[in-house]
Amino acid sequence: MKTLYVEGDTFLHRLSPRAKLLGLAALSLVLFLIHSPAVLSVAALLGGIVYSSLRLGWRQSWLRLRPILLTIAIVAIFTLILNGREDALIVVTRLTALALFAATVTATTSTGDFIDEITRLAMPLERLGLVRAADIGLAIGLVIRFVPEILSRYQAIRDAHRARGLKVRPLTVAVPLIILTLKNADEIAAAIDARGIRAQK
Amino acid sequence: MTTRDLVLAALFAAIIVALGLVPPIMLGFIPVPITAQSLGVMLAGVILGAKRGGFAVLLVLLLVAIGLPVLSGGRGGLATFASPTAGYLVGWFFAAVITGYCSERFVDRSQSGIVQITGFFLAALLGGVVVDHALGIFYLAYVTGTGLLTAFIGDLSFVPGDVLKAMIAALAGRAVMVGYPLLPQRA
Repeated sequence: MKTLYVEGDTFLHRLSPRAKLLGLAALSLVLFLIHSPAVLSVAALLGGIVYSSLRLGWRQSWLRLRPILLTIAIVAIFTLILNGREDALIVVTRLTALALFAATVTATTSTGDFIDEITRLAMPLERLGLVRAADIGLAIGLVIRFVPEILSRYQAIRDAHRARGLKVRPLTVAVPLIILTLKNADEIAAAIDARGIRAQK
Repeated sequence: MTTRDLVLAALFAAIIVALGLVPPIMLGFIPVPITAQSLGVMLAGVILGAKRGGFAVLLVLLLVAIGLPVLSGGRGGLATFASPTAGYLVGWFFAAVITGYCSERFVDRSQSGIVQITGFFLAALLGGVVVDHALGIFYLAYVTGTGLLTAFIGDLSFVPGDVLKAMIAALAGRAVMVGYPLLPQRA
């Protein structure tokens, strides 16, 4: 799995993940309080400038931003038809600004930094006895580790369907896929415990 | 949470991610391809229950937030949460928890097959369709300022597909319960 993180050494790369996340949260609040299309357009333009400072190139940027820009465009068209030009303009500029700044944070923060930050943020929850903070990093690692395995299992099940001349149906694929995958859980859990990774503190 | 529960949730999160990477599968009787990821969310609730299912979906959302393109179509990153349809995405967590909670209440191993399937179906319908769509509609209406009714009408076109997914989730949930009896319903 390729992350959306981009290697680099810009000011934004060096900024702590917490500062970036708090900044983004504050910005999203401000953007939703502003109702002036002019101010929001400036915000969207600023977002564009910050994003382009990452020097991803037009093609890469388009590939990354395409899904969200398309969604915004569809919603904007509906708003235009239903509520008129002013509202549509506000929707487009506000959401585009937010999307660009959010994409910038994503591109300048590595997965490892994010996991460290989430673990630190979960510490208060740990004190409340809700989760163990270190479990989050462990679980994320497990997910990334097992996605390729599940995909190859999916292919094996699909091939088994073809070999028997059966059509691939959601139900007949999902059930064996889930049972085969979850049956691994005991072994994996035993391996984790045997290594003392979740040792009691 | 025991290590086994943690691993089960992580594996299910991996299944949801994998379901976003496989090409859409055609349903048997109508020519509509379904994207399997929201089916995975209902399945998490039905099969793992509220706690573990909710944690599995939370893991997927965390992966999205930290910049991994794990949603169908290679979407991911914080920008996904800035989308006007982000309510549906965040709603996944509540969908899995409500589906899981209802499954734990409605379904019992001693019931007959048809009762179990109906119970799972109602649970998936409540969580995956009612709760998730309600949150999606509220956020869409709030972001665009179009009003709830318009957002609701726009939403309606996605309801039949998701009702079908709830049906598939119910059948699959019962099949997994029978096929893998070692998995306890409640965490």
